[in-house]
Amino acid sequence: MGRFIIRRLLASIPVLFFVSLITFGLLWLVPGDPASIFLDASATAEALDRVRHELGLDRPFLVRMGEWYVRLLQGDLGTSLLLNRSVTEAILERLPITLSLTAMAFVVSVLLGVTAGVMAAVRHGRAADQSLMSLALLGLSIPEFWLGLVLVWLVAVLVPIFPAGDYVAFAKDPLQWARHLALPTFTLACIQMGFVARMTRSSMLEVLSQDFVRTARAKGLPEPYVVLRHGLVNAMVPIVTVMGIMVGALLGGAVVTEQVFSIPGLGRLIIGAVLSRDFPVIQGGLLFLALIYLSVNLAVDLLYAAIDPRVRLG
Amino acid sequence: MKKTYLTLAMSALLVLTGAGPAHAQKKGGDVVIGMTAAPPSLDPHATSAQVARNVNLHIFETLYARDEGARPVPDLAEGVTISADGLTYLFKLRTGVKFHNGKDMTSADVVASLERYRKSGASASLIGAIDSVSASGPNQVTIKLKTVQSTFLGNLSSPRAPIAIMPSEEAAKDMGKASSIGTGPYKFVEYKPDSHIKITRFDGYKPNPAYKERDGFAGAKIAYIDNVTFRFMPETSARDAAVETGQIQLNETTDGPTAKRLKGNPNFQVIPVLPFAAMILKFNMAQGAGTDLNFRRAVAQALDLEEIMAVAYPDIYRIDTSWVYGGSAYHSARKTPKQDLATAKATLAKSGYKGEKLTFIVHNDRPTVDTATVIQQQVSQIGVNMEVKVADWPTTSNLGLKSDTGWNLWTHGFGIEPYEGPASAMSHWVKGQGQRKADPVIDGLFEKFNSEMNVDVQKKLFVDFENQMNDQAIAVNMGNYGLFQVATSKLKNFKAYRIPRMWGVWLD
Repeated sequence: MGRFIIRRLLASIPVLFFVSLITFGLLWLVPGDPASIFLDASATAEALDRVRHELGLDRPFLVRMGEWYVRLLQGDLGTSLLLNRSVTEAILERLPITLSLTAMAFVVSVLLGVTAGVMAAVRHGRAADQSLMSLALLGLSIPEFWLGLVLVWLVAVLVPIFPAGDYVAFAKDPLQWARHLALPTFTLACIQMGFVARMTRSSMLEVLSQDFVRTARAKGLPEPYVVLRHGLVNAMVPIVTVMGIMVGALLGGAVVTEQVFSIPGLGRLIIGAVLSRDFPVIQGGLLFLALIYLSVNLAVDLLYAAIDPRVRLG
Repeated sequence: MKKTYLTLAMSALLVLTGAGPAHAQKKGGDVVIGMTAAPPSLDPHATSAQVARNVNLHIFETLYARDEGARPVPDLAEGVTISADGLTYLFKLRTGVKFHNGKDMTSADVVASLERYRKSGASASLIGAIDSVSASGPNQVTIKLKTVQSTFLGNLSSPRAPIAIMPSEEAAKDMGKASSIGTGPYKFVEYKPDSHIKITRFDGYKPNPAYKERDGFAGAKIAYIDNVTFRFMPETSARDAAVETGQIQLNETTDGPTAKRLKGNPNFQVIPVLPFAAMILKFNMAQGAGTDLNFRRAVAQALDLEEIMAVAYPDIYRIDTSWVYGGSAYHSARKTPKQDLATAKATLAKSGYKGEKLTFIVHNDRPTVDTATVIQQQVSQIGVNMEVKVADWPTTSNLGLKSDTGWNLWTHGFGIEPYEGPASAMSHWVKGQGQRKADPVIDGLFEKFNSEMNVDVQKKLFVDFENQMNDQAIAVNMGNYGLFQVATSKLKNFKAYRIPRMWGVWLD
């Protein structure tokens, strides 16, 4: 196990290097720079050049790239051109917000998705199965931005139960934190919920038709025990794979959800940085997201071994 | 009986003058303003972005500022004495003005701020005529100009990237690094990127005693609100929902349908801000079809301005082709050019244009893209073949502001310049800045305007400039557009202006 983890960690270094290289390359190709964000449409070419110089954007691309890698090796992601703080600081400020949103959405989609999937598999072919799977399909089909806007209109404006947006830190007021995250969580979780429900159902149907399940029932074990202990546990491997993919999808979805609900998270940071060409933030932010993806993939691989003893790591 | 008459007369007078309980100002309360974006910097000298003005002009002040009619009037200065040769300006500073750090403002701070700005301010050319700045007393600053500049006070009071006065130790910092310490009615509290900026009433603020009320960016800036938070909410629907649910008290800008929906609602006030900008179409005169006068004229003749503005800004526009806004002493009611396709075709035939595909650049703001789409359709009727290239603002502006190649036409808003007045509106076309090729007549008119002290002669020069713009089809001014702001009806005495001013307003 230890050797497996070390090998995977070492393998992630070239991946991160290529991510940073591609990001740098793309930023080099994309026209425009942050100088035009500082100035208006009547800016003179001299004023633009002066701002470019102040931001250090007039130095050769390779020099800037070299400096960035040197700083990166020292654990420094650079300084934002617009936020007046270091990129690491900017990321760490927003990380708890995005993590709490994605974690809550993850829990909600797994809990509801797995429950719905199990219920549909147990009631296979009946009305409950068809209703649940129709709901799952609906959840999968609704775009996040649209669902977010409809929810805001319904339960924030029309019937004011939840706030329309914004974020309150957990440390400041846990109740308000939960209230403010309720709509974004549901919006973000909806697609994944449908995905998990359908995956759970098909995996459960496969497992429940196996001989050992028939044997368990023949032994007279209670049905809930058969379904959960023998069925669900054995159906978990593909579901865990889905969960790994889900974390990536949730992080991606958080970009849209944060925008709709005005939540100052990582997604908004990166979107804002892209729109204003805040190069250090884009580079640092994407590298950080790649690191999260790699960590989740590693965690999923480790979970396989924990769930299924037939899977051997090494 | 006499007493009764007297009481009645006094009551009537109170009603007529608008005094009484309806106008009772109340101190206290918090206001949250939903803004479309975050400012790129809170250093007032570093940026000319509108979103930065919205915040910075609550915190910082300038020696001279624009009044409600955009005329330069004293703000941190008590006044100015101009020498007979027009080259020396002696500013007497207001006394007892404190910075937010508790320090008194002195001439040393003013000198340091002006020196910083003219060295590397975002619109440093505004005060490019300055030869030297010196403190001629603790409360007196002398500015010497290289040449006579009739527009100097106007430039000095520009709110574009305000020539804000900051403590000398802040002015010593690099551009973009100065702390938000000004003399304004509100002081900086916190900035949470992607979330909000919070300012709080500066209780040490001394309103300008020369005024009784707010007046543009000048006047008596009396703050009643305790805290103002500028919350960044890029999604229009999120801002709309937030104002309707009471999470924010003012939506900086919303769309026409929302404004119409909320107009009759007693809980809200819908404030049209018209004009906010002029919509312009400019030609790249450095290369391709734009070098040909007949081509430019043909495009201008093919445009139906009414249709363009009605499509792009259906609820809030005004056809006005003057290069300054109505209300300015320099504004003239210019005849609206009518679409004339037959003449446009004939003019195009005289040009060297042979149907080649032209690049029309535009940034990805919906009304601006709509403008470009309608223009593309209208000029296609005379045989002009255009490809509309939509990109974000950094891409579009980088191309249009810096490159002679890669574009033929560009449409965008022209907001602060027509507000600032003729010199500002003209300066964009001087030395070919906007159109990429200098027009000697425009350059000459600008030079004369800048040195001309007689207002009547200035007006004549500005009319000549507008005629030249039309005659040479350097750019087409299609009309003024506006925006809608929505506020809670509890916000009293709010009046639309170039920024959502939070002085002179209170919560009921």
